Parts: sequence; C-alpha cells; structure tokens
Amino acid sequence: MNQLPSRRDVLRGMVVGAGAFAAPGLLAACTGQSGQSTGGGQPRRGGSLRVGVVGGGPEDTLDAHTSVAHPDIARVHQLYEPLMSRDRDFQLVPVVAESVEPNRDLTAWTVRLRDGITFHDGRPVRPEDVIATYRRITDRQDPKVGAELLSFLDTRNIRKLDPRTLRFDLDRPTALFLDAISEYFQGIVPEDYDPANPVGTGPFKYSSFEPGQQSVFTRYDDYWRGGEPWVDEVTIINFAEDSARVNALLSGQVEAINSLPYGQIPVVRSNPELEVLESESGNWNPFTMRVDAEPFSDPQVRQAIRLLCDRQQMIDQVLVGHGALGNDLYAPFDPCYPSDLPQREYDPEQARSLLRRAGHEGLQVELVTSPVSQGIVEAAQVLKQQARGVVDIRLRQVDTGTFYGENYLSWPFAQDFWVTRGFLAQVAQGSLPNSPFNETHWDDPEFISLVRAAEQEPDEQRRCDLIQQAQGIEHERGGHLIWGFINLVDGYSTRVSGLQASRAGQPLDSYGFRHVWFV
Amino acid sequence: MTERQDISGWEFAEPEVRATGRARGLLRNALRVRRTQVGLVITALVVGLAVVGPFLAPYSETEFVGRPLAQNAPGTLFGTDYLGRDVFSRLLNGGVSVLILAVLCTLLGVGVGLLVALVAGYGRGWVDELLMRISDVLLAFPAIVLALLFLAIWGPEPWAIVLTVGAGHVPRVARVLRAAVLDVSSLDYVRSAEAMGLRRWSIRFGDLLPNVTGPLMVEAGLRLTYSVALVAGLGFLGLSGLEADQADWGLMINENRTGLTVQPWAVLLPVLAIGLLTIGTNLVADGIARAAAGIERRADR
Repeated sequence: MNQLPSRRDVLRGMVVGAGAFAAPGLLAACTGQSGQSTGGGQPRRGGSLRVGVVGGGPEDTLDAHTSVAHPDIARVHQLYEPLMSRDRDFQLVPVVAESVEPNRDLTAWTVRLRDGITFHDGRPVRPEDVIATYRRITDRQDPKVGAELLSFLDTRNIRKLDPRTLRFDLDRPTALFLDAISEYFQGIVPEDYDPANPVGTGPFKYSSFEPGQQSVFTRYDDYWRGGEPWVDEVTIINFAEDSARVNALLSGQVEAINSLPYGQIPVVRSNPELEVLESESGNWNPFTMRVDAEPFSDPQVRQAIRLLCDRQQMIDQVLVGHGALGNDLYAPFDPCYPSDLPQREYDPEQARSLLRRAGHEGLQVELVTSPVSQGIVEAAQVLKQQARGVVDIRLRQVDTGTFYGENYLSWPFAQDFWVTRGFLAQVAQGSLPNSPFNETHWDDPEFISLVRAAEQEPDEQRRCDLIQQAQGIEHERGGHLIWGFINLVDGYSTRVSGLQASRAGQPLDSYGFRHVWFV
Repeated sequence: MTERQDISGWEFAEPEVRATGRARGLLRNALRVRRTQVGLVITALVVGLAVVGPFLAPYSETEFVGRPLAQNAPGTLFGTDYLGRDVFSRLLNGGVSVLILAVLCTLLGVGVGLLVALVAGYGRGWVDELLMRISDVLLAFPAIVLALLFLAIWGPEPWAIVLTVGAGHVPRVARVLRAAVLDVSSLDYVRSAEAMGLRRWSIRFGDLLPNVTGPLMVEAGLRLTYSVALVAGLGFLGLSGLEADQADWGLMINENRTGLTVQPWAVLLPVLAIGLLTIGTNLVADGIARAAAGIERRADR
C-alpha cells in the first residue's frame, strides 16, 4: 500500500544525496557531463517520453523546495537545478555554479555562477536570485525541506561580489556546506519565483500539471548543456499501484517506470522489448536499537543482535539478491568509508555467549515493524527467523501512522529507512544528540568530538582519518544493525536509450530524462 | 396464579424438545438436497486441510527453503513465496486462523442478532422501533468499512476482529430474524401461551425460537460464508491478528500478488482454499434454506 508521504519522509527518506566531499579545488575543473550513453548509437532529437512514477496524490506540488512524493521529486529534477549535484559516481559536480570554493578554515565559501545560464523565461541567473532562493528555503515563517541542512547559514551573510560571484559567510566552519547545496530540493529559482509559474534552469520547462494525475514538460531550447535534452516532451504519470505501473510498461503506455517490484524483474528481463535498470545505492534499512533502553543499553546485547543477522541471506530473501552487504556502517560511497574493517558475519554461538555474559540468556525482545518502505516488514521476519533459538524476537507490526506517531524515535527496537548520503551529512541527520532523527539515542562523547573535528577539518586526508575513527566506534558499539544496501531497480523500454545506472540514490538515473533519446 | 405457574413449567419443556427435533428434521431434509451434500463435502475438505495441515507440512511456515518466488525450487511442491518460504507449508498452516475467527464471528453475530430479533420482534413498541432504527443506521455502512474503522482504533487483535466482524453481522441477522419472529408471534399458539400468562422470555425461547429455526440456520450458514470472506479480506489487508511471519490465507494472497505472473501458486492456492470454503458453506446454507422452505423436492427434481 502506498501512504501519503509525511514531512518525516521528506526529511528522512526522500532527502537524497549529500555526503562525500570532493576536493573543492577540483570542482572548477569539472563541468557538466555529456548525456551520451554506452550503446544505442548516436543520440537523436525528438519524441515524447512518458514515465510512470510510484506514489503521489492530491498533495502533489511543482514547488522547487517542498517536494515530497516520488512524482514531485521526478518533476523537480526536470524543472530546477541546484548550485551543485551528485553525478552517477556520487561525486559532487557544479551545476548552476561553475565553481564553489572555501576559504582556509571553511567559514566562507565563494560561489561563481555559470556563464550564460538562464531561467526558462530567458532571464540570466544573477546572484540576487541565488540569495532569494536561500531566503525562501530558510524562511523562518515557512521553512522548506532544505532549511534544516542549512542550519549554519544566516542568509543575511550572503553577499554579491560581482554580477557572477557570491560569498557565503557561515556561522561556524563546516565542510557540510557542499552537501547542503547539492540536494535536488535546493534548486535555484528567480528572485520573483512563484510556484504557480514554475521557472527554473532545468532541462525541461513547465507545460501542464494535474496533481495526482500527470504533468507535462517541454524541452528548454536554451538549456546550458549542449545537445541535451534530446526529447521534445516528458510526461510524468502517477501510479499508486505496483501492478498498474508494471502493466503500463508491459503494454507500452509508458517508456519507463521507477521501482520495479522484485517479483516482476524476471518478467521484464524475459521481454525483448524491455530492459531492467539496476543501480547500486547507499540506501539502507537498519534495525535500530536504543542504546539507552534495556536490554540494548548493554553493548554486548547490541553486538549479539548484530551477530544474529545472516546478512547474505537477508539480501537473498528480502531483496532477491539485489543489494550489497552491510557492515553496520552507513555512507558506503563516502570516500572515507572504512572498507578495510572486517565484515561482521553470522555467528549465533558468539551471540549466545555474549548474551550469557551480559546476563540475558534466553532473551525475549519486541521488534516494532511497519511497512514504511519496501522490504521493512520482510526484513523483520527474516531476522526473527535467523535469531530463533538464541533470541526470541516477537514482531509487533503497526501501521505507518502509529509508527511515526508519538512513539517514533522512542521505540526500543524498531526499523527505519534511510537514503544515500555522505558520512557527515548522515551523522547530522541521525547520529548526534540534536539530530532530528536520532532513533538509536546515540550519544557517544568520543564519537561526537571526532565528528565535530572532522566537520571543521579542511584537509581531506586528516578528515578521513577522523571519520574512520568515528565509524570504528559505531562498528564496535553503535545501535544500528545495517545488513545491506539496496539496489534501485527500474524498468524501461528498448525504444529509448540514454538511461544509465547511477549511485546518486534516485531512481531512473536521478530522473535524468535529459539523457534520454528515442532509438 | 399458582395454577398458572405450574402450567407454565409443564408447558416449557415441550417446545424445547420440539426445537431440537425441528432442527434435526430440517437438517435431515437439507441433507437430501444435492447442493447440501456437495457443499458439505467441499467444506469438509477445506476444513480438514486447515485443521490437519499444520501436522503434515513438510517445512515450518517461517523457514527459508530457496530463492523468493521460485516456481520449481528443489524440495518444494508448489515453489516458494515472496520471501523464499515453502508455499505448500504455508498453505497448510494458514487456514486455522481464518476458520477459528470466522466461526467465532458467526457465533457472536448470529447469537446477538437472534437476541435482538426476539426482543424487537416480540416486544414491539418503542424497544422495537429503537433497535430497528439503530440497525438501519448500521446497515447503511458496509461491514468491511465498519470493521476497518474499529480495527484502526483497537489494532488488529483477534478479539477485535471477532467483535467488529461479528457486530457487523448483528443488524443483518436481526432484521431477517425479526421478520420471522413477527410472523410467528401473531399465531394462535403464541396468543394462547400469552393467555396462559407465560412470561415473555419463556415465550420467546419456548415458542418463538423453535419456530424460527429454519431462518436461523440459514442465517448462520450465510453469515459463516460472509465471515470467511471478511476475515480473509482483513487478512489480505494485513489485519489478521497474527504475527507478521505467521501464515494466513488472506495475507498470503497480498504478500505474493506482485509475483503473480512469476509464481502463480503462491496466490492461486490460498485463493482456491478461500474460494472453495465460501462456496461450500454457501451451498450448505442454500440447501438448508431450500429444505426450510419445503421446496427441496420440486427444486431438485
């Protein structure tokens, strides 16, 4: 069943990207990539692309900064662009900006805008527009989705230096600035922006919109990336039901759909006119143990529960193999990710002896589960079966409203879903005492001081050392059981080409319809 | 006065005997109808599967035996479900909950409905008006909507399912049985029992109840059919009152439906089980209805 997304979904789930730090000096060097794909020959102009996207409803919006449901996010990617974004390798690349450079201690960042970049109404992008955009996002009366990420920014301290250059003076030194401006919901809009007349710098411009139904966008002829987009028109159609979406693809009503159910992958694979697009991601569905609640306040109990998870079986049963092993650490695409830490294995004997030492032999725990995202309740069932005989896990399934109700963030043992982020950006969201979603109540002084130091460390190598020490602490005694990372699986027709696997964490090549052409 | 009391005591035993005798006669008649026989056989098969199944299942209902949604996983009869568990074992384990809940819902709904009918149909007056208007209002809501409303409040506990689905039956049962009670209550033997000064509750159970056994049994059969469908439907929506990993026919359909084209057995088998069970109980109810109406011979020849 599809639920209406909540504000929490925005902040937690669908807020994607943010993470690794590209060396700022490199940013100026990389400009936009071409949309050429491997195979499929030369891109051709023309055609009308139709895409089926899961979810959405009467609350759908075209607003650049309040997107919630998947169709909203898909639309935002067509209309607007942020200063920077993540490419297919999860690297930060400049978009509306040409370069973004910090000063020596990461307190001031200089942004140079791309030359000749224009909004859909033909006006050039000016520093005033950028300032107005960030004022709109961080408006105290009506903060938008991205406001929380910009906690270190007072918009009065953004100054125009010349017609193409701005300087952001931050309240505190932070390397997180790049993550914060690279999210799709931080798109640059004109100073006089009105969501009723949605104007941005994106590859497609607004044509029509029926909330909960569909939206149509036409090619922006003056788009700054030469050649792109290739198709004349994109139609994004909402599909609430999995089977309806798959049937629309099978019957040729749409050329592409996101979120292909695992059960349907063989059907699409066996059809010569369809292709499966599978992307590795850093999306994770952890089990969350509250480190301040019995029995999980004992690190040995947390370690035991982590040892009771057969991670490969988890991936095989829950994701039908479409995922990567997890090692109780998030942010796998962060350049600082400690891939040399030993992989935690399934070891019920070790778990049993840890529990015996902790005085919790024959432990019984209640796991609160809820269908908040695909695979959550399934993972709970698999863990219960794997732990059988050592820990008796009782499953308490609640509806999503109850799950995110008054007890959210205080369930002692529960689950949740998170998306692809870099380490420090993820920590800010979920692993500090003042994080909005610290579901494990993680409050480790040693960890906190390492994270604080890393955030203010300009040198990348030293920053990585600090991050790896912090991750070592979470690996040893953290409250998450992170069993794997979930591949995004989409389907598309062989009539179109140009979509590629992407690590950026959004489906359909980050809704990159500008890459698509009809063969 | 004392004389009257004696008579009432003496009179009371007689209809009791008649009531069971009547029910037995009705069943005997119903059993001669072909559809009742077919219905009974089908019902017995499905019930047998559900009751004996858990002892025959080759695997546990929560054990992983292969890749998810594999049609011919080695060692399985009907392949695996969406998590890689044995479909056949889950089918064998998944019926008991549906059956028990459906029977309890029926008992509750028909029992309370009968009481309401006896009170309203024989009491008449403002009590009748009040009860019937309330039931009119309740009838305006589809049973599943009411059930969902209250399960949303109480959570999908087994007792809540029995209560909501059973309560949903009450106005429907009450309406039909009240009409039957009304017909009977104007007959001479009820009048004479009244004239003898029998207490009203004695008349209700002694004279009225035995004479509405036909519609009562038909209602019981029909409500059982509806209960099975409703309980399975709630199970489909994940409101089975069981832990998430336990097998349940309704839930099996929902869990596995995205893989319908890849591994149809995981959906088809529970659909068949629920379908056969409802058809079976419906045929039995229909047979009883025909026997009660006394048209069984003409209808079957």
